[in-house]
Amino acid sequence: MITELLEAFFLILTALMTTYLIRHFIFTLTVLKNAQKRKKAVTVENTTYQPTASILIPARNEEQVIGRILQRMTELTYPKDKMQIIVIDDASTDDTGKIAEEYAKNYSYIKVIHRTSKEWGKVKASALNAGLKYAKSEIVLCFDADYYSQADIIEKLVAEFVDPKVGAVQGRVTVLNEPQNIVTRLVALERVGGYRIDQQARDSLGLIPQLGGTAFAIRRKLLESLGGWDESILAEDTDLTFRVYLAGYKVRYVNDAECYEEAVENRRAYWKQRYRWSKGHMQCAFKHSLKVLKSNNLLLKEKIDGLLLLNVYFMPILIWISWIISVLLFFSKPPQWLNALLTTIPLSFYSFVGNFAPFFEVGMGTYLDGRTRACWLIPLLIFMFLYNIVICTKAFTDLLTSKIFGKHTITWDKTVHSGSGNSYITK
Amino acid sequence: MEEDGWRIKHLIFGFFTGAIASYMLLSSPYISNESAPMLMIFNFLFVSLIFPLNGTLKTKLSMLLIGNVTGLVWNNLFSLFAYTVAYYFGEVFNTLYMILSPIANLVWIVSFWSISLTALANSKNTTGV
Repeated sequence: MITELLEAFFLILTALMTTYLIRHFIFTLTVLKNAQKRKKAVTVENTTYQPTASILIPARNEEQVIGRILQRMTELTYPKDKMQIIVIDDASTDDTGKIAEEYAKNYSYIKVIHRTSKEWGKVKASALNAGLKYAKSEIVLCFDADYYSQADIIEKLVAEFVDPKVGAVQGRVTVLNEPQNIVTRLVALERVGGYRIDQQARDSLGLIPQLGGTAFAIRRKLLESLGGWDESILAEDTDLTFRVYLAGYKVRYVNDAECYEEAVENRRAYWKQRYRWSKGHMQCAFKHSLKVLKSNNLLLKEKIDGLLLLNVYFMPILIWISWIISVLLFFSKPPQWLNALLTTIPLSFYSFVGNFAPFFEVGMGTYLDGRTRACWLIPLLIFMFLYNIVICTKAFTDLLTSKIFGKHTITWDKTVHSGSGNSYITK
Repeated sequence: MEEDGWRIKHLIFGFFTGAIASYMLLSSPYISNESAPMLMIFNFLFVSLIFPLNGTLKTKLSMLLIGNVTGLVWNNLFSLFAYTVAYYFGEVFNTLYMILSPIANLVWIVSFWSISLTALANSKNTTGV
């Protein structure tokens, strides 16, 4: 009886893994197929739609990087009379506020909001909501303090809002400090798979491109009608994505609108960031899965993609469970089909967990980007996945414990930025 | 035959060669039941994702054949190793071998796939994707 149950459970788990693998195979083929098609190029020259834009930059103890992003903001090609930059100094204990104030003195369109330690909400969403109160433009954009954008990124992002159904637009995130060490190089691979293939394919197939929490734009009125960012959710970006869809709007992804981030530089920082992402994503899965299924504003394909997206951080946990079940089955009486199905587990092992991008998706992303030497690191993806198994399991256990015992404390382990990355910055 | 850089001719030749190679590998006494599905996955992924890319058909077919030969040699060596160790450690190792075999196979598959991608990216023939 127990063996039959284990077999049934193993079959379900492998079916789930296979679904994800097929999904990403389709994503890869879609992007590959479209790679040579001429896409409409959104450039400064052909963009006539230029709504007013408020840019929110939340910053807590970012003295190493805040000057870099503010300098870049002053270099943007978007008309300055249509632009408002709001820096939210989130109770910084270093010189972040002072540096931002220096820029505010010299540029009238830059405004700095200082939050005291009492106002500090401990989550990014809280800082963003504080900034939103001062935003007066049609479109709200968000950039993290460690980011460095293309000079014409605003034009590229806001151009999509010509379509009234578009509620939010996500740009591409690329790693700025990739050559630094093996961790940054592997995170860069993850970003390539996640944005160049995953987001691009979801946009092309009319599925659900995801807001990444930075380098994105959203209609201010829509955001206000949704009540701003949810401060009880750690992955406020994923939460916002689904709230936009549930409200009847779409999210678009613009691959040309590139923004460069400083990736986490070591194992400990990677743990903190991924733990936050996985826990936040799981919170979103609990919050939205049922709503997505019931919604009349979503197409069937969007519902399927949405559910797979929401539950992606549970996959590493389910994979190690299926691995253990397979061992148990071998020790009992292995069925004939077990050998064939067992292949799905290692295939899943070569995935990046954030978007579950398998090795072939990551590889194809680097190929299309013309960064082929990065392919050589793909065999190492297995170590990142194994690490993510531990992270996701810890996040799930903590979330479950807090739900059972009713302790809903939200702790935002902030990523520390050194400002050392500069591989895309040309002077 | 070519449309939008999607190389139909290369894909047809690739799948044909991949099918023959898979059949020959599966007929081989050196390929175990555990390794067979992995080698079929290699052929499928290699043809469907590598063959539409830049590069000549000759290069891609050569790579596919080298990949299959590598798979044959790898599995042969691995099974010899497994037989030897199982002789000393018994049934427990057999079970371990069956579970670890797909992962061990994927190590060379992923490495070989990545190297092929790099080689094709540097190709001067740029009519593909």
